[in-house]
Amino acid sequence: MERPQTRRTPLSGGVEKRMSKSRSYRLSLRSCVSSRLGLTPGWTTRRLNSKRKAPKSQNITNQVSPDHLALLVKHEWQLSYVSPLYHFRHTQLKSYARQLSAFIAAEKQQGLAVEVGIQDSFKVSFSGVQGLAVADDDPETVLIQVHTKPVFAQQDDPLKLVWSGWLTCCNGSPEYLHSLPKDFTCLPLFGSSGAQNLTSLVKSWFQKNFDCSFGPLEINHTSLEWLVALWTNCNTETNIQNLKMLWTLPVEPPLQVTYVVEGNDAWDLWSSLQQRSEGDGGEEAGWIGIEEVTAFMQGLKNHFYRHFRLELSAGNLSQVSTSLGSAKCNGKIKVSNSRYMITTLTLLTECALLKMPV
Amino acid sequence: MAASSDSSESDQLRPSDQSVSCRSGNRSMRVAENERRKKAEEPFVLALKYFSDVQTGTPVTGNDEFEKNLVLVERVAYSNGLSPEAISIMLEFAMSLRMGSSPCVRVLKCLLPSSVVPQEAVVRGVVWLNVGKMPITTQVLFLKWVLTVFDMIDAKDQLRAVYGFIFSFITEENLCPFVCHLLYLLTRKESVRAFRVRKLMDLQSKLGRQPFLLHLLSLYKVFSPELVALSVPSRVKSGFKNHNSPWKVALAAVQRRNGAQIASAISLALPVGDRTSSRKRKHGHLQIPVLTSVTNKQPHTEQNSRKKLIPLVQIQSFDQLLKTMHQIELPAQMGSLLGSGLALQYLDCVQEESALLRLNFWLGCALQEEFLFGSDDDAAHIPEETLQFLDKLLSAQHFLQEGFSSSDAFLYKFLNVWDGSLMRPQILGLLSNIPVIPALHLGKLLFEPLTQLFFTSSLFFKCGLMECLNSMLVKWLTWHSVYALEDDLDISLGSHTSVNMTLSGFKDSVMELVHFVGRLASVGLQLEGCHTLLLSFVLDFYGTVCDTFLKFGLPLVVMPPAGVFYPAFFAADPISLDRLAHIMHRYRVNLTSAKNQEKATEAFHISRQTFQEFNHYLVFMVNCLWNSRMFKPGMDVRLSEELLQKSNVPQYWTRFDLIHHPALMSYAFDFHQKCWPGRKEMDLNSIKHLKPWSWYLQYLFNQGFDGLKDFFQSNINQQLTVDDGQGDSQQR
Repeated sequence: MERPQTRRTPLSGGVEKRMSKSRSYRLSLRSCVSSRLGLTPGWTTRRLNSKRKAPKSQNITNQVSPDHLALLVKHEWQLSYVSPLYHFRHTQLKSYARQLSAFIAAEKQQGLAVEVGIQDSFKVSFSGVQGLAVADDDPETVLIQVHTKPVFAQQDDPLKLVWSGWLTCCNGSPEYLHSLPKDFTCLPLFGSSGAQNLTSLVKSWFQKNFDCSFGPLEINHTSLEWLVALWTNCNTETNIQNLKMLWTLPVEPPLQVTYVVEGNDAWDLWSSLQQRSEGDGGEEAGWIGIEEVTAFMQGLKNHFYRHFRLELSAGNLSQVSTSLGSAKCNGKIKVSNSRYMITTLTLLTECALLKMPV
Repeated sequence: MAASSDSSESDQLRPSDQSVSCRSGNRSMRVAENERRKKAEEPFVLALKYFSDVQTGTPVTGNDEFEKNLVLVERVAYSNGLSPEAISIMLEFAMSLRMGSSPCVRVLKCLLPSSVVPQEAVVRGVVWLNVGKMPITTQVLFLKWVLTVFDMIDAKDQLRAVYGFIFSFITEENLCPFVCHLLYLLTRKESVRAFRVRKLMDLQSKLGRQPFLLHLLSLYKVFSPELVALSVPSRVKSGFKNHNSPWKVALAAVQRRNGAQIASAISLALPVGDRTSSRKRKHGHLQIPVLTSVTNKQPHTEQNSRKKLIPLVQIQSFDQLLKTMHQIELPAQMGSLLGSGLALQYLDCVQEESALLRLNFWLGCALQEEFLFGSDDDAAHIPEETLQFLDKLLSAQHFLQEGFSSSDAFLYKFLNVWDGSLMRPQILGLLSNIPVIPALHLGKLLFEPLTQLFFTSSLFFKCGLMECLNSMLVKWLTWHSVYALEDDLDISLGSHTSVNMTLSGFKDSVMELVHFVGRLASVGLQLEGCHTLLLSFVLDFYGTVCDTFLKFGLPLVVMPPAGVFYPAFFAADPISLDRLAHIMHRYRVNLTSAKNQEKATEAFHISRQTFQEFNHYLVFMVNCLWNSRMFKPGMDVRLSEELLQKSNVPQYWTRFDLIHHPALMSYAFDFHQKCWPGRKEMDLNSIKHLKPWSWYLQYLFNQGFDGLKDFFQSNINQQLTVDDGQGDSQQR
């Protein structure tokens, strides 16, 4: 049996002082880092915004260079979230490009006893993309491209783009951004397109140099619903053609339902909801609330039920696409129309920030 | 007494022993140590000697000596790997086929190098290939082995010198893919010759466009484009097949055990389509990064600090750490600090906010990716690395004596999805490190998920959780007693290091926690039928609670609920009863002391109700144990007179006194026999007489029931005698 043998009788004098009412505790810096951030873990429940601005066609072609824009629009991107980068400097992009190409070359050479003239085969470029940072606090987007020169190519063959990726922060929560010490650059959303092994090489280079971590960013059910609503809302300005949704139903064998709605029909349903809610409070024009999104989705599901007697709410929305872009629940996104890119990126930045561990 | 004096004597002796041996010098100890080590190694050395000396043609079957030696070599190989010399000996033995080809395969399979592979051994092995008696499958195995350990071969010049010799094996159809791979790794510009190209082209026309041939040819073309007229596609589909060699796993294990001295650079495949890494990547986030220094030096730091910064990687000893403490440069990845003890020492002194934030970002991501977001298809199987990672994290937290905020944040989320059994010890360990949470949030963050887990899990989980909550409480209280500061005293560190938690806030949190455990314990004891094991953990907890004032200086006393007190009192084992008595005694000491101080300083107030609760329990205990008046009006335990009569229990009011309490009855019997050895009839009531009663008490206290002893000594005034031992139990 263990028994407390130490009886530390409080010293009467000292205790008297110590018992005074106003008392604080000294906490080691280590355990209070995040509480200072105002993000005391656990008891601030960060959620996806329940309201967001209706997307307006933004012609960002005159802000973003057309080359960059063409690249962003061309590919489907695999998304990840990134914890804030430590000591990342936008002024040193050139040097980063050199380092990363050296890193890739070194990694590729591992296990080879002889050099096979690899030193020239990968060329990395880093560039800042202007015009995607919307709010004042947003750090500038960074675009990374890896070009290769095929080993057996002719001398004057052009370099071939084998991998590209970007890091962005679009309308990131100012609270969060402000709470970070200035050594950190928060670019929470990472998109990549290209060979898997290059992606992991780039990631590990970032991890080693900026002490950050990557994790996959899935686009969850709610975010997909948001995209459905946001995109449908654009139909007046840009025809979305078809609203295509893929539902996965948990039955045996698994059932996949592809549900395609004519763009104008979807918009009719959407605008009928809009009118109803606008009657309630006119001052909120231009904003879309989560209730409207839910109601819209419910409307779509009801319609489906009426025709096929199949309750879609039992399943999961796993993919949506319109002419403006497509998004899959496994974190793949394609933005086909640059005019609405900011809206989509804002939503995704928010999702990425929600994944931050502290 | 005798025993204790004995032990103290030996204690005294021991130091002098030591000093004698010290004087005789550390040298002899070192010699002894070396000898011991040599002895352990001796059988292995003998085994190696056997294999180097064994005669050609020695039979294998029924050869016990051979079997014994080989088993020994295998054991060493799989645990620590083989030294270069051992590799040479064993490879020579195997390839020479001195004992036929059957041991050859076995030996090849255990050739796991601990450091490097001597080049000569490999060259000799290649030469033996040509002798021609060796089965083709064994030859393939040898080549696979060479490919696996290729990066560990200490030099390659001699191997390159026999390039032509190796090339000659290319005609052997089964060997061809492996020979091509080996040649690929060895090829240099001067090895590319027209006749070799011709040979390869020949083979290609015979075997078809095999990827291994294509690869070798394409390499030739890179070196001498004029010799290879073949148009090689710019992208060959896949590299040499990543042969699923039998050594990989074992080799990795050996290297891990050897402290991973050799950076694992044994990727066999060509960069294109590296298949092994996908498996690794799954648990990749749980690898503690390697300690490396920063590559991107910040220009401004160079200006600011005139003193030279020393990367942490270069620090080798604790002394060095102390000397250079103020010039140490943080590593590129803060997570790497968790990897070594020395780095942890340093982490304890790190005051830079960004550095700690980096650590927390990394740790939080690693934990959440592994346990929250990772879709683990095989949840029952916990990989070794996961456990190692958590153990490392725990020992780091233990060393720093506090948790990391990112692991706390992770736990708050994880508790909601935890099944209570996955990595239970580790998770409970992390949980006990959670810092004080404001009372307002306790319910949502901890109590709700823990309640669910507690009531749906086994007895062992309940015990584990009790233990965990106890250690959490101890840590909170310790934190309070160490860090509680006067506001005006808090000048040592910047104001940002003090938390906005007042004493009353802290008290609220502690009270919430104690009440919560009280609720859990009450219902838990009921559910488990007052299981002794659970009761013991519950009493552990109250052992901490009863001493909050004196031990930790926190003016707060919380009494256990009835659901804990009564089960402990009625327990059938004497230990629980004794512990309860001890706890009640400590409560009394704490309350008395608090009362005195309260009067003197008026700085705090212990509520009247606490005193009442205490007195209530105390009166009950004294009445039952001492006065044999169990059912008095106003007590919690009430039974109607009628019912008691019906039960036919004789003298029911004495059933829980010191003699008849089920936990103590056997002692009463024993005492009775010792006291009146001649008596035939057992009459326990005769112990109650004045003389035997005091002897009986003495007897009980000598059995080690210190709790009961303290309890009665502080609560019963012996002078008041037995018949009306009301005691001075009233505290008002």
